[in-house]
Amino acid sequence: MITKITNNDLTEAKAKELAVLDFSATWCGPCKMLAPVLEHLADEMPGVSFYSIDVDENFPLAHEFGVSSIPCVVVLKHGQEVDRTVGFEPAPAMHAFVEKHL
Amino acid sequence: MERYDIAVIGTGPAGVSAAITAKVRGKKLILFGSRHLSDKVEKAHSILNYPGLPNVSGAELANAYRMQLDSLDIPITEKQVTAVYAMGDYFAIQTPDDMVESTAVILAAGVVTSKALPGEDAFLGRGVSYCATCDAHFYRGKTVAVLGYSEQACREADFLAETCEKVLYFPAAPHEVQVNGRVEVVREKPTAILGDRQARTLETKSGKRFDVDGIFILRASVAPDKLVPGLAVEDNHIRVDLQMRTNLPGCFACGDAVGPPYQYIKAAGQGNVAALSAVAYLAEQK
Repeated sequence: MITKITNNDLTEAKAKELAVLDFSATWCGPCKMLAPVLEHLADEMPGVSFYSIDVDENFPLAHEFGVSSIPCVVVLKHGQEVDRTVGFEPAPAMHAFVEKHL
Repeated sequence: MERYDIAVIGTGPAGVSAAITAKVRGKKLILFGSRHLSDKVEKAHSILNYPGLPNVSGAELANAYRMQLDSLDIPITEKQVTAVYAMGDYFAIQTPDDMVESTAVILAAGVVTSKALPGEDAFLGRGVSYCATCDAHFYRGKTVAVLGYSEQACREADFLAETCEKVLYFPAAPHEVQVNGRVEVVREKPTAILGDRQARTLETKSGKRFDVDGIFILRASVAPDKLVPGLAVEDNHIRVDLQMRTNLPGCFACGDAVGPPYQYIKAAGQGNVAALSAVAYLAEQK
């Protein structure tokens, strides 16, 4: 399951051991293609918390993370950024990208 | 959405050959390319090593290809493919106006000569973007540089000018530059992207430096691993095995795209192998 972030509130995600943030927007083609890949990953990896962040609705958050190109996937470990990737990735590559932080 | 069995991208000898074999094998096919087929074929003076066609000219070979495609009722979809997404059991193929789904994909779009600029890969997503419509939003009220390689890039620069404070357009390859009055054309050759955590500066051959907030690099043809995210490449060529399989299941590649020798007959032969491998892949999926 993927939790939708509203009101720029990342409190819950920052408290998690491992959280994956998907910065995206409704008008971005690659973001639309990445969404089902992350849905699939969230089912496969119950130990990881997944969040989707619409940059239009949460612009200050996008700014805080210096996101200037989407889709942008950021990995947080206990609230600290440990990794990020920009652009679409197929499921196996995205799985490997997250798994190395488990 | 209707789903094709095989999508072939490219209409040089590799793509044409792959399309012919896929069609003969009765597969539901879409062929992306141009009615002109291939500049490289069209411009060849004479080809001496194509069996059965001694001393054929490029133009004659292209004509023969067109006739064969027509006789097999294979239409050419004249749309630029801007991205191919590996979705697991199918591929989503993005064009400027729609999305097409196909179970297998054959990449046969030739070789890309333009290399990444110094700093381009390091700052991708940190001030460097390939997609004006995706990322214009992040540069509202800011200054951006556009490295334009085609007339399509001019239209994207116009689009950026609606959002950004200032748009500098650097024509990076020969094309007719027509932009609206809000875009400033700078005739300098960009050589490097500099910055700290973010890209900040575009440096040109004459040593000038332009301070910008973002840099949009809009090439006419993109490197294969940027066209197909997740695709493995080596030295700018797609990595394949002898069955023309790439690292992505269901995605095959052939012709100049997979490396030298850049020969017409080699490309045609590999196109045939790629199509047969795609047919075998489709059979495994059922």
